[in-house]
Amino acid sequence: MGAYPPNLTEIVDFFDALSGDEKRENLIAYADAAPACAPKTGERFDLEDVRKDEECTDTVGVFLRVDPATRAAHFRINLGPHVQTLTKAMTAILCKGLDGATPEQIMGMEQDFVPRIVGGQLIRVRSQTVYYILGRIKGVCKVWLNRERAIANGG
Amino acid sequence: MDMNPKFSGYAHPEALVDGDWLQQNLNAPGIRIVESNEDVLLYDTGHIPGAVHIDWRGDLQDNTVRDYVAPERFAEVCSKNGITPDTTVIFYGDKSNWWSSYALWAFRLFGHTKVKILDGGRDKWKAENRPFTREKPSYPRANYPVPPKRFDKEIRAFFDETLAHTQARKPLIDVRSPKEYTGELTHMPEYPQEGVLRGGHVPGARSVPWKIAANEDATFKPADELRKIYTQDLGLKPADNIIAYCRIGERSSHTWFVLTYLLGYSNVRNYDGSWTEWGNRVRSPIAKGEQPG
Repeated sequence: MGAYPPNLTEIVDFFDALSGDEKRENLIAYADAAPACAPKTGERFDLEDVRKDEECTDTVGVFLRVDPATRAAHFRINLGPHVQTLTKAMTAILCKGLDGATPEQIMGMEQDFVPRIVGGQLIRVRSQTVYYILGRIKGVCKVWLNRERAIANGG
Repeated sequence: MDMNPKFSGYAHPEALVDGDWLQQNLNAPGIRIVESNEDVLLYDTGHIPGAVHIDWRGDLQDNTVRDYVAPERFAEVCSKNGITPDTTVIFYGDKSNWWSSYALWAFRLFGHTKVKILDGGRDKWKAENRPFTREKPSYPRANYPVPPKRFDKEIRAFFDETLAHTQARKPLIDVRSPKEYTGELTHMPEYPQEGVLRGGHVPGARSVPWKIAANEDATFKPADELRKIYTQDLGLKPADNIIAYCRIGERSSHTWFVLTYLLGYSNVRNYDGSWTEWGNRVRSPIAKGEQPG
């Protein structure tokens, strides 16, 4: 089991202790909160990655801002209306759980926390998009780190 | 209340209800509204008042043997939802009723014949601003007798039967998307790979994507349009021995419902092992490209 950023650890520990029905209730609460994860008017970002991928049912936009002083990452995520409820829930969980972590911490994270949050009953082949948002977040962190490296090397 | 005029053209108009009828009959005795979705949490976000949730995997499948649940388990699923053999079960769900068709077909496997589908499913109900609730209903427990048999032989095809079908050049319908049929894709567009090693189709199968039977609002196409597709253009006769398949059996359940209930074909089976079995099976022949092969 990997080490997760503190906010995410708190969420994982919370879900770990829940029964199946309680997990469902809390996942719905997080899914309800997903629209609040979208970018707000006037916010600026270091990177914006908006696209519709083959493996997801709708467009997903990932927006990253990294505090230059602390290297703390902050995410906003915009979801098309057709994404599945689990994907919405995972969006809200990751926006909260990864807030303040560094891009390096996020890149080093394993995804074994997902079944601990969602529970085995809800993970199925058709629900693999629960991992999709994490993949997109890692993707944008990787681009940000590569860009930082290029700038440091005088690129 | 008058029947939706569109339904009168179907072979079994009684197999469908529309939103107007359902909204006026939410509390009618003798019916149970069942939601079955691909999105495993969608029911929890809101459902038709009074509807219960039956999960295509958790409630209907036994994944230890890749089969459907034992008759005892089916009886328990029904009993806990207050369903008896006399209850008319009205299915609806997301994805143009893929999974509700699948659940209906599974109910038929266990001999439950009082089944209907909400035309347009969840999407149309929502688009028409009809009521949703998060309140989960509770019904008095029923006593559903354990079904004495499963009707696999009548409405389900297995690998060996499908192989015999392809060898005898009997009608096979591949209802997947065109690129899955040709072998260009080994997953559905917009979906993750579901573990298939080879792309292509069962030799001899004709490509008739499920979607061709549905309107944009998820309702079924009118009878004359369906007859043109399946009877006229494809040349299928009502008594033909037909097998439909997709990847895991849900899209082909939609086509099975269309052929069986809307067009009145009498001998249609759903190969639920579908491409995830056929495409991976050692020594199973496949064809690639646009021609049946």
